[in-house]
Amino acid sequence: MATKEQKEPEPADIIRPILNTSKWWYIGFGAAAAVALVWLAAFGFQLQEGLIVTNLADWGSGGGVTWGLYIGAFIWWVGIAHGGIILSAAVRLFGMTKYQPVARMAELLTLSALAMAGLYIVVHMGRPDRLVTSVVNAYPWTVQTSPLAWDVTVITLYFVMTATYIGLTLRYDTYQLRDRLPDILSPLYSVVLIGYSEKEDEVIERMVWWLALGIIVMAPLLLHGGVIPWLFSLIPSMPGWDGAIQGPQFLSIALTSALSGVIILAYSTRIAYDWDHIFTDRVVRGLTNWLGIFSLMFVWLQLQQVINGLFAAHVRPEVVMTAKLANPVYQMAIGIMAVVLAYIFAQAVKPSVFSQTRSLIASFGVLIATLSEKILFVYEGLAYPQFGLYDQVPGHYTPSLVELSSLAGTVALCAIIFMVILKLFPVIELHAVEGHDDHDEEVSS
Amino acid sequence: MSADDTNDESKHPYETEDSFHPLGAEWEDQMRDELEDTEFDADLGMEMARDAQRLVAGELSEEEFYAEYHEDIEDEFEVDERPVFDDIDDVDLDAAEDESMLESLTDVDFENEDTSRREMMKKMGAGAAFLGYGAYATYDQDDEQIPENVSGIRPADKDEREHRWGMVIDLERCDGCLSCVTGCINENGTSTGANWMYVFTYDDEDTDQQNFLVRPCQHCSNAPCAKVCPVRARHVRSKDGLVLTDYEICIGCRYCQVACPYGVNYFQWGEPDVPMSDLENLEMRPEEVRSLDEEERHKKLSEANDHVYDERGRWTDSRPPKGVMGKCTMCPSRQDGHTDNPKGTVACQDACDEAGMSAIHFGDLDDPESRPNTYLERRQEVEESPKEKSEKFEDAEDYEQPPAPHPVSQLPTFKLLEDLNTEPNVTYIGNQPGANATETPEERPVPYESLSNDWGVKVVAERKEHLDYGARANGGLEEGEGEA
Repeated sequence: MATKEQKEPEPADIIRPILNTSKWWYIGFGAAAAVALVWLAAFGFQLQEGLIVTNLADWGSGGGVTWGLYIGAFIWWVGIAHGGIILSAAVRLFGMTKYQPVARMAELLTLSALAMAGLYIVVHMGRPDRLVTSVVNAYPWTVQTSPLAWDVTVITLYFVMTATYIGLTLRYDTYQLRDRLPDILSPLYSVVLIGYSEKEDEVIERMVWWLALGIIVMAPLLLHGGVIPWLFSLIPSMPGWDGAIQGPQFLSIALTSALSGVIILAYSTRIAYDWDHIFTDRVVRGLTNWLGIFSLMFVWLQLQQVINGLFAAHVRPEVVMTAKLANPVYQMAIGIMAVVLAYIFAQAVKPSVFSQTRSLIASFGVLIATLSEKILFVYEGLAYPQFGLYDQVPGHYTPSLVELSSLAGTVALCAIIFMVILKLFPVIELHAVEGHDDHDEEVSS
Repeated sequence: MSADDTNDESKHPYETEDSFHPLGAEWEDQMRDELEDTEFDADLGMEMARDAQRLVAGELSEEEFYAEYHEDIEDEFEVDERPVFDDIDDVDLDAAEDESMLESLTDVDFENEDTSRREMMKKMGAGAAFLGYGAYATYDQDDEQIPENVSGIRPADKDEREHRWGMVIDLERCDGCLSCVTGCINENGTSTGANWMYVFTYDDEDTDQQNFLVRPCQHCSNAPCAKVCPVRARHVRSKDGLVLTDYEICIGCRYCQVACPYGVNYFQWGEPDVPMSDLENLEMRPEEVRSLDEEERHKKLSEANDHVYDERGRWTDSRPPKGVMGKCTMCPSRQDGHTDNPKGTVACQDACDEAGMSAIHFGDLDDPESRPNTYLERRQEVEESPKEKSEKFEDAEDYEQPPAPHPVSQLPTFKLLEDLNTEPNVTYIGNQPGANATETPEERPVPYESLSNDWGVKVVAERKEHLDYGARANGGLEEGEGEA
């Protein structure tokens, strides 16, 4: 669009994806579906043969690690999800109207990322068929002792909260835009609008505010600052995991990953639907700056761990920290973060350094760095336990093809979910563009 | 003889006619002699020692113990500096002496406990507040409310349990022959590399000799693996403290393996090497076995010489099926008395005895007459007493501080990673591996790979290589399937 500087955002913009579908959408959808199908086949193969098709093994005299890519990717997805909902809640709670256009995308990212995390739990199990029966049966007792039971609880809780959150805010938008949305989807919209009356808008607004408050307060306590790191930090026999710093460390990773995810979504939809007047440079630059702050936190907390693990540390913490520093995957992850930070610092000082494309590349970099760090974190913990007598057992861990395909598969599934929602509901809140609702009548057809 | 011990209170299980002390009358007399040598009241000391045993056994609460001796101690030492909760001075000690203080509090507070907790449980699924409550409730579980199919994570209290199975392993007798490893495989049919019993050959900094560490599951009384299990498949059997896995419940999340400090767990990554039909077992589904009444079940299991179910009808013994976790079980089917092998024995111990080594001593650690307890006692007697040792110094005055007399034997014993608070039930005789001890696989007197067993299953020390081979083989298959 040539006139992007003059153009004002309007409701017609946000329903464009629902009304028009380009060939690129079909190509993208087809590609994602193909990747997802390949992984589903690989998963089916794993179900048939057992987890022997992974490169996981028993730690100890077995010489392997029993948790690896699946758990690393699980934490990564949960991190994206938790960061996403924190972002959206902050926008609502602190009235950051500048970022309102990305709020719903962050929520949608949360929902789909949580679904992927849940999927990883299933993929990781030796007997996924028993998941429901076994967990439910002993739940009132295991929830008192097992961090894994806390995990399942909190993920479920947040799935419900996020879905409620999105469901509530969608009602207003759907009602207002109802006439312009395609008739073929009206059964869906009637379901969303069950019992709707205009009087409820104010109430809903308040409910959503309280939900946002709940999310913001509970996020550092329970989510990625609590339950997820507790899976590891409460295991005293694994010095690579042990320690209270894991809470803040996990939270910083969640926020960096989620911001990167949102930047990527904003960039892609901006290109696809000419939304450059909605996702302006100002918005993306703001997001980039936030990404810088949280990346700095991530690197700072890493530094704390490294210093603690090397300076007059106990025998085993020193062993694991030395191994971590020497690992090329770790060096790569920290190197990427350093480059990203250099870019973000430079564009903060000198605006001409900024470009949306550079921010997009930085976002991909951050996601690769956090994912590698998480998988390595899981691996290093199990490879260097307190019980050092196993050190001479030969062992290594490189994820197998089946495991690697799950990464591509879940990313593809996540994309599919997002692409489908794009065709059903506005992914930008009506409130974000409503100030400019003057051309309403002209645009509606 | 401890004739001075005239206390009429109920007797501690350790107590015999002669002695209250697990190490026996002779030891007790020795303690008394040492006390007589001091300026303090020996009778009070002995009485307190006796009650301290009861305190440890949980028959006496800390408060009762404190209250009973508070005045005596102040008389004797002018001050009572035993560690206890801060506000003891505000508490009515006389009342506490009659009735445990905790119990009197319980009467008041816990009246509503049942209902309030039940309500709380209902709300748990919805709220997040349970996390704080959960931490409180962990060690306060009311057994009556827990359904039978949900196991606990702690052995029952000493007076309520039948046994506490465990081992004393004399590392000074071990020669690394790996007979125990073979014995275990023969008994349980474990797959290649799943060495439930594993023996380290290792070098330590200060010694030139070859060292061995025999590593079965430690069957911890405070087992981290059972605590973290999200489905209570991994549990601690209440009646005898065995740490077992219910193969019918396990979801294969492997958190038990992650939480165990000893690395004793072996997951069944693929199909087991030994098929179910080859194991000695009752040909029934687990739920059918469980539905039988206890007597009938025991009869059927005995007839089948079953080595798969325990007496509760739970599938906890022998190798696990695909997708679930396995580890050393300390042979529950033997301990439940329905196999041809006698109760109170384990396969690795039998093999070790047969090899003429007798390094592994399995039995009931609660029973002072059990094999591990008597063995440890005898070994301690054989070891020189500290007194004799210090007499050997020709001129003790040469040392500014002569070696202090120590109330325990000089026999080195240890439990593995005890500071992790797991309360392991395996005690080792010998030197503990140092922080820089390194395993020396090339110096093994007998390599794992040379072992043969009844099943014809290949034995290897490092399972990873074997699993990788399996993964590669299956990987080839995957490509074929992809084309089809």
